[in-house]
Amino acid sequence: MREPLHASTRINLEKVEVLLVDDSAPSLNLLSQVLLGFGVGNLTRADSAKSAQTLLRERTFDLVISATNMAGVDGYELVKWLRRGALEANRYLAVILVSGHTPPSHVFKARDAGANFTIAKPITPKIVLERILWAAKEDRQFIECETYLGPDRRFKNDGPPNGAKGRRREDPPQALRPPGAQSASSGALESPDSEKAKS
Amino acid sequence: MTVARKFRAPNRLSMLARANGGMMAKDALAAADAALEPLRAESLAVLDAALAEIESRFGKAAAATRGDGAFQDLYTLALRIIDVSGFLPGSCVDQAAISFCALVDTCSEAGAWRWEAIDVHINSLRLLRTADLNPDQRRAVIDGLNKVSQRRIEDL
Repeated sequence: MREPLHASTRINLEKVEVLLVDDSAPSLNLLSQVLLGFGVGNLTRADSAKSAQTLLRERTFDLVISATNMAGVDGYELVKWLRRGALEANRYLAVILVSGHTPPSHVFKARDAGANFTIAKPITPKIVLERILWAAKEDRQFIECETYLGPDRRFKNDGPPNGAKGRRREDPPQALRPPGAQSASSGALESPDSEKAKS
Repeated sequence: MTVARKFRAPNRLSMLARANGGMMAKDALAAADAALEPLRAESLAVLDAALAEIESRFGKAAAATRGDGAFQDLYTLALRIIDVSGFLPGSCVDQAAISFCALVDTCSEAGAWRWEAIDVHINSLRLLRTADLNPDQRRAVIDGLNKVSQRRIEDL
């Protein structure tokens, strides 16, 4: 489980190269101000995904924060492209998508495009900083296959669904128990409450 | 069967963010709040302009022409409200606009407008923006809007 933001956590964004992408000027201005407040020293703004693609072909960045809903190429397509078509050094960088409307289908779409995290607007500095820290502490490996390139889409390794055979070496031998079923042993999966208590 | 490659990619953000210096999160948040403040008036003007455009293009006053409008245009206008609604904490304007997006999404999927539901959202946005309501009243407005926007065309 990812850590919430602590007041005393230290972060240094002075040398981080950030690319901000949004075709809405007010939104771009708000995010820029937030990042400048965080001490980001190298902030580049793009007012369309097309401009962002040009920049990502030419320069190296450390973090991309992009809107999803944009005219022409949208944020999802931008991330998909970035993972395969950007400068080699940019293909594995941290990507945070920002969206005003985030039903589960849109969050899954962002995840399947290869984004690390999604933030729901209206943005608040606390959530933006927390997600940047999560991206900085990202420990998920990258997965590359015919249809996907991006961070491992499994946030937790709870094993394969009930009745399915695990396809990964690290999959636990026991299948995921059905929803609501009690844990069989201390080594089995823990309830969300026990996880919450630990975090 | 698809062959998948699993590997560790370098995380430059991680290496840079851990460098000596920088600032504590509480100071970063305070600095960000201070940096946002000069944008308050401009952002609220953007919100009011978006609401006025929604009313003029998709409200009752445009009954004769609003059917020609594009779903995406109304969706984008509602998103513009969400973008800047962080300056109205507790007003529930953001939640009303999110419900509006959900409604336009269902209209777009069905290929048909639900004008009564759209009028209710426009009126509610105006109410939440301008009226002096207490938190319970605001919550009640949002609960009502969510029920309206989640109702699909075939449920009517």
